[in-house]
Amino acid sequence: MNRTLALFAVALAVGQLALAQDEVYLKVTNPGLSRVVIAVPEFASRPGTDPAAAALLLATLRKDLDETAVVGVVPAENAKLVVVDPTNPTLTRQRWRAVGAQFLLDGSFAGAGNQLVLETRLWDLTSGEVAYSRRIQGTVSLAATMAHTLANELVHLFTGRPGPFLSRIAFVSDRTGAKELWVMRWDGTEAQQLTTYRSIALSPAWSPDGEWLAFTSFLRGPPQLFVLRPTQGYLKTLSTLPGVNSSPNFSPDGKTVAFAAGAAGVTDVYVVPVDGGTPMRLTHTLGISTQPAWSPSGRQIAFTSNAGGSPQLYVMDAEGTNVRRLTFDDTYADEAAWAPDGVKIAYTTLVGDRFQIATLDLRTNARTIIPGPGNNESPCWSPDGTVLAFVSDRTGARQIFITDPAGRPQQITDKGNNIQPAWVAQVQ
Amino acid sequence: MSTLWNSKALGSVLLGVLLIAAACAHRQAVVAPEPQSVPAPAAAAPAQEAPGAGTTTVAPEPRISPAENPEGGIRTSELPADLEQLNKAGYLKDAFFDTNKSALRPDARDVLAADAAWLKEHPTVKLTIEGHCDERNTEEYNLALGWRRANAAKDYLVSLGVGAGQIATISYGEEKPFATCHNESCWSQNRRAHFVITAR
Repeated sequence: MNRTLALFAVALAVGQLALAQDEVYLKVTNPGLSRVVIAVPEFASRPGTDPAAAALLLATLRKDLDETAVVGVVPAENAKLVVVDPTNPTLTRQRWRAVGAQFLLDGSFAGAGNQLVLETRLWDLTSGEVAYSRRIQGTVSLAATMAHTLANELVHLFTGRPGPFLSRIAFVSDRTGAKELWVMRWDGTEAQQLTTYRSIALSPAWSPDGEWLAFTSFLRGPPQLFVLRPTQGYLKTLSTLPGVNSSPNFSPDGKTVAFAAGAAGVTDVYVVPVDGGTPMRLTHTLGISTQPAWSPSGRQIAFTSNAGGSPQLYVMDAEGTNVRRLTFDDTYADEAAWAPDGVKIAYTTLVGDRFQIATLDLRTNARTIIPGPGNNESPCWSPDGTVLAFVSDRTGARQIFITDPAGRPQQITDKGNNIQPAWVAQVQ
Repeated sequence: MSTLWNSKALGSVLLGVLLIAAACAHRQAVVAPEPQSVPAPAAAAPAQEAPGAGTTTVAPEPRISPAENPEGGIRTSELPADLEQLNKAGYLKDAFFDTNKSALRPDARDVLAADAAWLKEHPTVKLTIEGHCDERNTEEYNLALGWRRANAAKDYLVSLGVGAGQIATISYGEEKPFATCHNESCWSQNRRAHFVITAR
């Protein structure tokens, strides 16, 4: 990586942090060029360290860091060029700098019994100072979790946003013959079935703290709203209004659920407290209003309405006042997903006769279509706002994809049809 | 987070902006002077814990459990044998809709008029009108559209004199299609208000 780009990336990183107070901050828009490069050499191991656990931790850490959009590990072919001099750490750090590293993460393992301990420091190779240090410990069986925790901290250091490595995606799958709720890690591993009702489950939505999962189910006959605690299996009914109860969405403070409900033939956006209570109607359209999406500030709710003749995106204040239309250039706009920075909304649009993902910048009104083969819908932002998950039928069945740091889609499900991803930073 | 606005951070931001401007303007490798310092990681320290302070003990991630069954159990939608037979006899015909529409077409009105006549002759019969959609549009939007279709059919029947108490409505959106190919020959079959007798 040439010097100018390296500095550019560092300057961007600083710029990001200085603006972290606002909802909006600089995003790395071309990750291939602008990743902050960290060297992660072999860590020392003191006697008593479980070698398998240490190796797993290091491998997981390197893999995690390399999968982000803002941080990258020095490529192996460059790392090979560095001659490590244990007697001269300063010289060694200069050698890492020479192959393009801007930061160096060094560490040493220790252990006793089934405990694994890692002491790490992050060196800023430009200033020669330690920028961050951490001692992290756990049982050897938690080596991967320790790596994920550390990787999350490093990502947070550089972006001010939570790292994705313990994050999970809830989704709907029909692989068992009925639409059920499932949850998996963000990379598609460890998929687990959550509901076994053999009915129809739809539209999972996480509370921001990852404690609750709201969803629609036909398990009692008509579509009703439920909320589930995935760590306990606890199930609670949230709304049984007559007609349709669907598309739940949690407020940023986790206290209120917005959803779409039908009453006498009209579907409108309602809100109900998570603790239970009477749902309150917000929209008063003469048509269909559905798919509410709370803004990250909690002050506004975007939603879909066909009040203008076709499904389009609207936004209103959280009290239901001040309704205004957002999309004018689409023949169809649905499934608004508000980016964590509050500036962009991703949504599903129709191009010709195929669904595609689009983003709308709320400041500039610029609309960008993200083209892809087949039908692409149900966009969902990662908790740090750098990655989009979505559903595509490009391989035949409907599968969930996430975009990698270079913007390339990676398929993360493969059995049955998998739809409606919902991403949370961590399950509590 | 007041440290974010200290002069070093601002200085680096300004320098960053200058570098960006320089890179954009000249489009060639410009070796610019290095920033004075990179306070980035320290400045971004999470509020709750200063970096390096103390040990982080990692706890196991919470175990994810399957959801319990609801109180009152799960309702299946199967009908007793005699009602299955009654429905198979086809006394009540379904009404069909245009794409994205819940308005009643003339042919739908004719069908519903005949259904209304039969229902008025059998006032003890209870039924459910299911609103269905083709697979286009999103699942959520189709739930709402199906709901409109079911109620459009019910409202028309009631306007023709059928007792509202005889008729329940439900929407299945695109979830229970009658035909599963991916073109109009199947889609048109799925855009319907479907009648199911639930009591004689």
